[in-house]
Amino acid sequence: MERAIRMRGVRKTFGSKVALDGLELEVPQGAVWGLIGPNGAGKTTALRIVMAILFPDDGEVEVLGRASALEARDRIGYLPEERGVYRKLKVRTFLRHIGILKGMSRRGLDEKIEGWLERVDLGDVGRKKLEELSKGMQQKVQFIATVQHEPDLLILDEPFSGLDPVNMRLLRELIDEQHARGATVLFSTHVMQQAEELCEHVVMIDEGRKVLDDSVPEIRRQFDLRTILYEPMHDDPGEARLAALPMIQRVRRHQERWELHLAEGADPADAMRALVDLAPPALLEVHRPSLEDVFVEIVGQRRSAEERERLRRELAGAAVDGRDS
Amino acid sequence: MNPRKVLQVASREFLSTAATKAFVFGVLILPAMMSVLIFVLPRVMTATPPAVRGRVLVIDPTGRLVPSLAEALSPEAFIERSRELKEKIRKATEDRLPAPLIDQAERQGAFEQALGTVPQLVVEPLPPGEDVEHAKRALREKEDDEPRVLAVVQIDPDAVEPAGDGTYGAYALFLRKGVDDRITEQIERAVRDAIVDERVAGRGLDADELRVLMRVRGARTVTITETGERETNEILKAMLPMAFFMLLWIPVITGGQYLMTTTIEEKSSRVVEVLLSAVSSLELMTGKILGQMAVGLLLLAIYGGLGVAGLAAFAMLGLVDLSLLFYLAVFFVITYFVIAALMGAIGAAVTDLREAQALLGPVMIVLMIPLMLWFWIMREPDSMFAVVASFIPPVNMFVMMLRMTSSAPPPTWQVWLSILVGVLAVFGALWAAAKVFRIGLLLHGKPPTFRTLIRWIRMA
Repeated sequence: MERAIRMRGVRKTFGSKVALDGLELEVPQGAVWGLIGPNGAGKTTALRIVMAILFPDDGEVEVLGRASALEARDRIGYLPEERGVYRKLKVRTFLRHIGILKGMSRRGLDEKIEGWLERVDLGDVGRKKLEELSKGMQQKVQFIATVQHEPDLLILDEPFSGLDPVNMRLLRELIDEQHARGATVLFSTHVMQQAEELCEHVVMIDEGRKVLDDSVPEIRRQFDLRTILYEPMHDDPGEARLAALPMIQRVRRHQERWELHLAEGADPADAMRALVDLAPPALLEVHRPSLEDVFVEIVGQRRSAEERERLRRELAGAAVDGRDS
Repeated sequence: MNPRKVLQVASREFLSTAATKAFVFGVLILPAMMSVLIFVLPRVMTATPPAVRGRVLVIDPTGRLVPSLAEALSPEAFIERSRELKEKIRKATEDRLPAPLIDQAERQGAFEQALGTVPQLVVEPLPPGEDVEHAKRALREKEDDEPRVLAVVQIDPDAVEPAGDGTYGAYALFLRKGVDDRITEQIERAVRDAIVDERVAGRGLDADELRVLMRVRGARTVTITETGERETNEILKAMLPMAFFMLLWIPVITGGQYLMTTTIEEKSSRVVEVLLSAVSSLELMTGKILGQMAVGLLLLAIYGGLGVAGLAAFAMLGLVDLSLLFYLAVFFVITYFVIAALMGAIGAAVTDLREAQALLGPVMIVLMIPLMLWFWIMREPDSMFAVVASFIPPVNMFVMMLRMTSSAPPPTWQVWLSILVGVLAVFGALWAAAKVFRIGLLLHGKPPTFRTLIRWIRMA
């Protein structure tokens, strides 16, 4: 299959800090891929290198079959994490400027821009200055600037950060639309839930190194943590009685809820039957691991307990912040 | 490099700078202020001439001066002197200023302004023995009924005939507070003339004849060039180097400053990363520099055009060697590229204007050198300092411009060597700036020092 992006052994340092350490990445054409990892993992650096905004110290990058994104710039749409606009410029002038820089023909450009503005309910702001627009409206203008030239490859750096729920839904629709049109989408996020909802495939990076590169269902299968969530309806059986069950290996209390880790070889169905017998449950379910769990599981091995806790807080906290509805 | 994209960046840069109210205002304010100074201000000032009426008390122990003083301070004498002076100014300036300019000045009442309006003064002799203190009291009194006493003149007894030791006496003039200085001058002059005339007459000579003998008309100055003779206009000739210097300086600095500001804006508003996804840092820099060069050229065209039009209007184009305009354009392009590369690099390296000031300081000091030393360069265009400075970028073109417009232009080989040095400096500066652009645009945080910038240049 054709590759939209191929990175081989990409290394990038800033002074003494190693931002990327031999990153390998292959994104097939037409796919929606997520680049995930905590803040400072190297996601933005990786995307900037793909865009040829930064240049690697070592390694090779191939984008849309070209040796560098420089040769395919007009076929790429890029939404940086720090999304800026010319505040003094009129919306239409700004989109025109970016459109022309992206290689769009001047002929019919205004009509296209009008169409896009209508599409995102900004039909009446074309003549307004960007600084007169609300933040949400500016974000919509930024989306248009990213996709108006119908790129073959969309690179979105933390696209959902700072979006209000309405714009989050709009952006998701735009991404789906571009995907349906055949565009390849690569986006980065530190909010695992978004990656789970949008991506077919995720690449996890941590401290500049790739730690996981697989499809979402495969990751779920591999990292099935075999945990049962249990919340008693009336009387709490207590930790001792739960731990005494033969199919339960480890017990952890989480507020009203118990997290019960199954012993090696134990059948979840047996364990659930035993729990119902012990005390009728208000809630009883096999917990499916989230990407967040998987991520902490993988990268946690290289971190101290304190660092693991901080990482979990960051990913969980961010997940709450970034939840769209 | 994609020329279409570079042009788009350039046109955006030009429009976002030149198509703003601030720019139009800023560009027009300079010529506007100058025309206010030259044309409007004198009119406003002459619009309200002081209407002077008053008495001049004279204590004259010699008893010979009052008639001639009264005559000299009479309104008729004022009008006559004004007419004579006007003629004299016309004669004197004819050689130096073109006739249309004099006519214009006359129309605008510049001469009346220089002379003041005709005062109505009455000379009143006091008895020779009058106590001067008593007379002075009249100057302090608030007399509501006109005419007031404006001045008291006390002539020394030996002002006309020398005392025993052969020295002449003088006079004392006491004035009311707030008397117009032009009136004071007229009174002083009248008294002085009256005394001198009496002294001359005492020797049996004719004062008018003596005055004619002592006058030499203004000489005509002509510069002999290889191609012929050229009327030398001293006043405009002295202004020419400054005019050319400013024509070079203002557009270069303005363009450079705008380039720095827009770069900082794009960087701090984070729009630069969007731009860099569409154009390379080199394309962006080239486009921005070209765009601001168009702004500088527009300024040069406006100010230079005004200057040339002004000279043409007064038929004085011959005063300017037209090849100077060609060199001005060449010098502008060279100097602009060097300064713009420097300022653009500074803009790309910092996050806000405040940080830029720290880096800009040394650059501005270097650029101020020709401005501060222009007088010395003008006086000695062939001095060691001037010659050496005309080969050191980024000031070489400024210094060369001054030397070329001076009284002793440098040899042509020096001009072209300086241009060559300038062109090399352009390439060097653009090369270095491109590296700083490439690294600096995406960096935020601690502002870099000059040492960091040099490290970037060597590293990238």
